[in-house]
Amino acid sequence: MASSISSSEDIGRDTSRHALPSGLRHTAADRPGIAQPVPERDIPDQPWRAMALIVMVLVIVLASLWEWKMRTLELFPGDLGDNYDRWAELRRQVDKRDVPVAIIGDSRIWFDTDLDRAAQLTGLRPLQLAIQGGSGLPILENLADDPHFRGLTIVGMAETAYFDTQFAAVRPHKALELSRWESPSKRGSFLIQRVISRGLAMLDDDYQLSTLVFRLDRDWRPGVQGPHDGPWKVQETAADGQAWIWRRLEHDQRMSEHTRNVWHQLFSPKPLDDKSIKAVLVRTKIAVDKIRARGGDVVFVRPSSAPDLRAVEDKHLPRAKGWDALLAYTYTNGIHIDDLPAAKNLTLPDSSHLTRACATVFTDAYIRSLADRTPLLHLKPNAPPALSTQNCVQPSVASLN
Amino acid sequence: MIFNSLIFVVFFAIVLILHAMPFPWRAKKINLLIASYIFYAAWNPPFVILLWLSTVIDWFAARGLAQAEQQWKRRAWMLLSVVVSLGLLCYFRYGHFLVENFSHLAALAGFKYTPPQSSIVLPVGISFYTFATMSYTLDIYLRRATPAHSFLDYALFVTFFPHLVAGPIMRPTELVPQFEVPHKATADKLRFGLALMTLGLFEKAVLADGFLSPVVEKVYDGKAIPGFVDSWVATLAFSGQIFCDFAGYSITAIGAALCLGFALSDNFRFPYAAIGFTDFWRRWHITLSAWLRDYVYIPLGGNRHGNVRTYFSLMATMLIGGLWHGASWTFVVWGGLHGLYLAVERRLRKQFSGYQPGRAAAAGLGLLTFVLVNIAWVFFRAKTVHQATLILGGMFGRNAHVEPVLAAVYLLTTTVIIAGLVLAHCSMRNQTLEEAIARAHPAALTALWTIMAFAVVIQHGESNGFIYFQF
Repeated sequence: MASSISSSEDIGRDTSRHALPSGLRHTAADRPGIAQPVPERDIPDQPWRAMALIVMVLVIVLASLWEWKMRTLELFPGDLGDNYDRWAELRRQVDKRDVPVAIIGDSRIWFDTDLDRAAQLTGLRPLQLAIQGGSGLPILENLADDPHFRGLTIVGMAETAYFDTQFAAVRPHKALELSRWESPSKRGSFLIQRVISRGLAMLDDDYQLSTLVFRLDRDWRPGVQGPHDGPWKVQETAADGQAWIWRRLEHDQRMSEHTRNVWHQLFSPKPLDDKSIKAVLVRTKIAVDKIRARGGDVVFVRPSSAPDLRAVEDKHLPRAKGWDALLAYTYTNGIHIDDLPAAKNLTLPDSSHLTRACATVFTDAYIRSLADRTPLLHLKPNAPPALSTQNCVQPSVASLN
Repeated sequence: MIFNSLIFVVFFAIVLILHAMPFPWRAKKINLLIASYIFYAAWNPPFVILLWLSTVIDWFAARGLAQAEQQWKRRAWMLLSVVVSLGLLCYFRYGHFLVENFSHLAALAGFKYTPPQSSIVLPVGISFYTFATMSYTLDIYLRRATPAHSFLDYALFVTFFPHLVAGPIMRPTELVPQFEVPHKATADKLRFGLALMTLGLFEKAVLADGFLSPVVEKVYDGKAIPGFVDSWVATLAFSGQIFCDFAGYSITAIGAALCLGFALSDNFRFPYAAIGFTDFWRRWHITLSAWLRDYVYIPLGGNRHGNVRTYFSLMATMLIGGLWHGASWTFVVWGGLHGLYLAVERRLRKQFSGYQPGRAAAAGLGLLTFVLVNIAWVFFRAKTVHQATLILGGMFGRNAHVEPVLAAVYLLTTTVIIAGLVLAHCSMRNQTLEEAIARAHPAALTALWTIMAFAVVIQHGESNGFIYFQF
């Protein structure tokens, strides 16, 4: 073999005739068939000390200005965003400790549940495992298959998400995959991110440089919807799983209008076929039975949506075919917003999620109602008094509604 | 861990501090070795065992080789090393691919064979460190090198974290001598190393992940059939993404090693300014193409045994190079296309041996090279050969009357980035990055460094793995 080595051989070319232009150094490409020597790495002649110092100062100044700008846009430090690492960390708690109450579902039950209020009422702080844009079904099945879980599962229901076994299942499956195996490196990075995000608002994934550039496109190309029309920022998330609608949506009409339009584009008014509905009912029943067999229970909660969105949702899946059929088929309890008088006429800035104050009212109402329906949840004797719509909506507005 | 992650920032700061401490050189090397194992274990701790196995087997095989006097014994030690290294590689990388294809062949022959569900997890960077350890025994077998004097130096050569998982693929003769004597970065070396790391992270986090990856995904991971504009823009975006991702990794690795006082090999030399495919492969993933040349192409006969043998060696080398990237027919086609390009170029060079292209002709040939490289990238990125043919159909205008896929802002950003990239490559094709930096005005350099560092900060976000980690 050694005899076939020649310094004149290169892949496809005789390199002995290949002169290296001046200014280039030799690389392994120029030295066929020999032991490669220690590489040369020269340091360009520049005032590196001064340059490094200036770069450091400028980056700190620019980053501070950027941080200031982001705060003027109402981004806040401590907002962890909607990432899988955070979810996976919460999900792993089921394997580590006794979790009496877990909440799963989509963004509505997530943003519309005030965990502190639930804890004040029952003494138990639910584990929040809902996923934005995700169906609760894959997570329900996952909990059903986990022998560690013996508690109460509150399944949040936006029919468009729960009964969608394709798009709405993607994010839950990704989150579950990460909860099963997450590299030490990824876990470590998340922990560091959590620490530094407490002091920095600019680490918001919805306001990355490239995202901001892409959002400039207001349908410039005929026939293609530009990124400007996609969802912008919708939520604020704390490390313990508590999330709310982004506070800016509560008062910035342009932003809330934009988000409302996005939901209208995303929610399909196309009716769901009976076969797909039945398949979801069957899967749900199997999961519910497994959890009950271990002493746990499952209840469903249908949070608010504004009339404009509700009309679309009802076309997609009417209550009788979806919600009512689900409860009947699975023999489960459920609380539908239509049947919760204490949470009527709440404010939904983007038609889909409640304001922060109204989320507390809604939580108060549905947790009280749940306590009446399942033995796994009790109101504390010293629970605070019940809230009503007036606690989050100005009386004049409430009466108009 | 990956370079563009927060954990790496902390890890690297600790390593730099430890390396700057007044410890004996041996203690510093042990620190680096432990740090490198931590770096690797941060993905999946059990796979460190595989790394140890690979390290130890080649160490003993090389010692056996060096001590053996008879040729058959030397060959036996060399074969042991090659078989074990390739065996591990084949098991983890190609096991599922082989079984799946066997199943298809069996079906064609009328037999039904259902392969068991594969649960093989690919250890990150296995192809890179396997090639590094193989070059150690092969160089000794070929009498190009002698065994390392110290196991610590050798283990550090295999494991040294900057190059461990995605290259540059180092040879023992390049790195072991550096570990034999104390190395510490000067202050300027450290600053230049940090500047290179900024450039690498800018290429990766901002250009590849932030601006180009979403464009590629919309077409290559979407369900719509793309038309002419979308196919070309997505493919150009991928050509930029794969370069910025991989060259970004290499330059960050070189910068990280430099901060510690070590020199790694060049892995890219402005490849999109290549004129012809021989030139391209002298500029793209240099350490892999040189490895394949030295240990596959030349032993297969190289260009010393007539035309037929040369073309066979060329094609075989490029097909192996394709398969090295992944166990998929799309990579085989990609490798085959490059083999074909090289063969045709070789034939044309012989045919027109006296031809010296002028500036315009050289520019035209450079453009043709770039276009053909992009056509090959379609197979590299597509999930299946069928998908690749659909996208190629779009690039050749066969998907008429389809809905547009990419928003205008994607067309605009991709065009600007790719044009900038190609222009930068063309303007620097005959010099090193260091020379270009040395010639630049310090104010311009400072501004550029600031912009890149600031862009990395405000791009932030979830760190994506490097594309070449899967290889």
